[in-house]
Amino acid sequence: MSRKSYWMIVTAAILCLAMAMVGCSPEEEAGVLKIGNVGPLTGGAANYGINVLRGIEVAVDEANASGELGDLTLKVYSEDTGGDWSKAANAFSKLIDVDKVDVIIGGVLSSESEAGGPIAKDAAIPTISPSSTSAGLTLDNPYLFRNCLSDEAQIEQMAEYAVNELGLGRFAILYTNNDYGVSLKDSFEAKAKELAKVVAIEGFMDGDENFKPQLTKIKQSNPDCLYIGGYYTEGAKIAQQAREMDLNVQILGADGLCNVALIEIGEEAVEGTYATSGFYPDDPTPAVQNFVTAYKEKHGEDPDMFAAQAYDAARIVINAIKTSGPSSEEIREGIAATWNFPGITGNTSIDEEGDTIKDVLILKVENGKFVRVR
Amino acid sequence: MFVQQLMNGVILGSTYALIALGYTMVYGIIELINFAHGEIYMFGAFVGLLLVTVLDIPFFLAFLLAMALGSLLGVTVEYLAYRPLRRSSRLSALISAIGASFFLSNLALLIMGSQPFSFPNPFEAKIYHTPLFIISRVEITVLLSSLILMIALTFFVQRTKIGKAMRATAQDKDTASLMGINIDRIITITFAVGSALGAAAGVMVGIYFRTVTPTMGFMPGLKGFVAAVLGGIGNIPGAMLGGILLGIAEVMGAAYISSQYRDAVAFALLIIILLFKPAGLLGRPAQEKV
Amino acid sequence: MLSPYYIQLVILVGINTIMASSLNLIIGYTGQLSIGHAAFMSIGAYASALVTVHFNFPFIASLLFGALVATLFGLLIGAPTLKLKGDYLAIATLGFCEIVRIVFLNLDITGGSVGLRGIPKKTTLLTVVVAVLITIFVLNRIINSRIGRALIAIREDETAAESMGINTTYYKVICFGVGAFFGGLGGGLFAHFFRFIQPNSFGFMCSIEHLCMVVLGGMGSMWGAFIGATAITAIPELLRFLGDFADYRMVIYGAILVIMMRVRPQGIIGQRLSADQVSIGEKLFNRWAGMGTGGKRG
Repeated sequence: MSRKSYWMIVTAAILCLAMAMVGCSPEEEAGVLKIGNVGPLTGGAANYGINVLRGIEVAVDEANASGELGDLTLKVYSEDTGGDWSKAANAFSKLIDVDKVDVIIGGVLSSESEAGGPIAKDAAIPTISPSSTSAGLTLDNPYLFRNCLSDEAQIEQMAEYAVNELGLGRFAILYTNNDYGVSLKDSFEAKAKELAKVVAIEGFMDGDENFKPQLTKIKQSNPDCLYIGGYYTEGAKIAQQAREMDLNVQILGADGLCNVALIEIGEEAVEGTYATSGFYPDDPTPAVQNFVTAYKEKHGEDPDMFAAQAYDAARIVINAIKTSGPSSEEIREGIAATWNFPGITGNTSIDEEGDTIKDVLILKVENGKFVRVR
Repeated sequence: MFVQQLMNGVILGSTYALIALGYTMVYGIIELINFAHGEIYMFGAFVGLLLVTVLDIPFFLAFLLAMALGSLLGVTVEYLAYRPLRRSSRLSALISAIGASFFLSNLALLIMGSQPFSFPNPFEAKIYHTPLFIISRVEITVLLSSLILMIALTFFVQRTKIGKAMRATAQDKDTASLMGINIDRIITITFAVGSALGAAAGVMVGIYFRTVTPTMGFMPGLKGFVAAVLGGIGNIPGAMLGGILLGIAEVMGAAYISSQYRDAVAFALLIIILLFKPAGLLGRPAQEKV
Repeated sequence: MLSPYYIQLVILVGINTIMASSLNLIIGYTGQLSIGHAAFMSIGAYASALVTVHFNFPFIASLLFGALVATLFGLLIGAPTLKLKGDYLAIATLGFCEIVRIVFLNLDITGGSVGLRGIPKKTTLLTVVVAVLITIFVLNRIINSRIGRALIAIREDETAAESMGINTTYYKVICFGVGAFFGGLGGGLFAHFFRFIQPNSFGFMCSIEHLCMVVLGGMGSMWGAFIGATAITAIPELLRFLGDFADYRMVIYGAILVIMMRVRPQGIIGQRLSADQVSIGEKLFNRWAGMGTGGKRG
């Protein structure tokens, strides 16, 4: 036998063996309800995915410890996407076919939910995304829900607050060119034009570090405030670079900014920043404080918005199991019927399209801490 | 505004140039695209960060230590992933390099976690106004240190005995070896120096952009590679020129064309330049041996 | 009976086989280093998806349309850039791939960064198998024809090929066009399988994956492309089954690439290099590396 065919056979054998090995699906355990999770656990977006998974784990541990589901034990199966939606489709399929999960919490990025949604629909597995904001995501898919702030609600609150309370009138917008940023930009542009003036709109790519060219252009147009449609890492850098360029305007943003990392990275530069949010970790209500304590105990750090929304998504699932039943179809009905659910990210209702209705808070960075102003 | 944007481009470009130097030096000697170079850059930034925050070492010393450790990692990667493949097809070595890059960035993710770390600013935040542009103290530091490192490298390659041996090896390995040059040693030194520059770039970008993450090496690595090719891969002044030009092209693209199409503008420029100068700006056209 | 997950993996292996074997024609048989094959995949995916969604094209017609649009771009980009050599060609193709991705990210008709949704699911196991067979058949016919011999001659020695009267630019552009055609076909199948496409999955990493498939399987071998596509598609998926060690998935994946190359540098079924039978690896290595003699002494 030539070396070539030898190697070919060895490879084929290894692959077949591995396939066969993994082909044995895990045994059905009685009294276990499986929750799948899909999100980026590696790659550039990993911190979002990891925090989502951690939030789910806290909710699941809590439910298992309290015995609120009777004999039913929850178990989390999580799969990595690396931030790539085509891998997310594999992850969805694997969870559904191999692990036989009953419900999925995910995907984290909008593109992941877009790719996974049809798969979940085909398999009739209810799926609730804790963070995919892309417009119209849940339309025409009765199995896909989400639990995150709608951009319209955030924008409305923020734009009105900026104009009426802060007296601002010349808006500049700087947004990430991804589904999150684009959607915020579109809504903010429309609303701000209605109330005042938009003087500059600039975009940047996911993961950019250098915003000086855009900020230089924005500075030329002489705005009195800068709306950032993006996440905290970029937000902090934008704030910092704006200060380095002597562009000292009021900074506004959405829930993507609400993470302690914004303050850690941005330091003085983000002082005075306003952002809309669904989650305020210093909220004195017991539900929020219990979550923050439990999260800190388990993971050794403060929860962020992703973790909180994932926790609430898991709580909505648990609530659906309690009110409706443990089968996938019953969970779907339960999630769809969610109304005025008291979550740690505010009262949450699911509308007929599977979208969320939630309260919006406005937070401000004061002396290196997020403070609730409204 | 034009001068301000030009300054923005030069500062960004100087970090690309430092990364490009590592690529170009390695390429000049063994014609390998050292894919793991972006990860060395990330490693340098992390080492710098940990030394400054955990061990509380003065910034300048941490900078030098990060360079030293970065070069150690570069040499290790060469020894484990590239040296065994030196006699194989160049593409195999490239795949091995890609594997090494995956391995290092994901290992960093496992160890350090995914949350971005903030790099403390070792300098006081100060802004200098000139009639034409505004520049911050950090920017001056980045610009000056890149310049110093580039001058030091040019001196090293042009004036020292080892530098001479490196140039000889790059030109013709056989003849160099016949002249008594230890090729393996030269390759090791090349990796050490190139990686030290990559790590230095990591620390500088760390203080400039203020964050360090395990995946930070990917895009700058790619850009550094592009800059190296733009200047003529294997050519040291070419890498510096390529880096600066790429930085300026990006900034100008964002400023005057569209910030959305920024990278597309930079890449289109690259392709056009290559069409007119097929071996890069300063590269000499390869001589075909018939 | 295979479960949908395994069918999905088999379909992905099939699509990747099309991608890898068409790239193999460019890299393995013609010796032109292209690291932007994902560009053709995304052009094919978007073109075919758009005509399906907006004009209700039949499946086969939309696949053909996508493949032809990709071919057009392959010829357009190939004609000027293919005079570049080695790494300069590589970087030009990489640049092209990034430009395509950024354009798709910003166009309205493609849904921009939000992506294009609502593509009907038409790709089935059967269509993929048929497409793979057609691809391999056509590529085999090309390789064993006059064109194929010209391509291999270019790979072996471009100067000598030219002096034998082969119009090297013409053949290189043809090869690029054919590669782009099948790349676009793969993209069309991909779009109609996932029902959603977004530009970021067709970036640089995607091109690199295709390159890994070709090199890992063995350059210049049709079986090699298939084995490479299977391995690169399956390994990250198999590593999902590591249980508690799943966190180490991507670290292990990286290590596997390094180790595989150490053990089988010529690819899984690439040929061992020998003096009388100079294989592709050796040739490429001599031409591109210029270190053939230098390293051996090391």
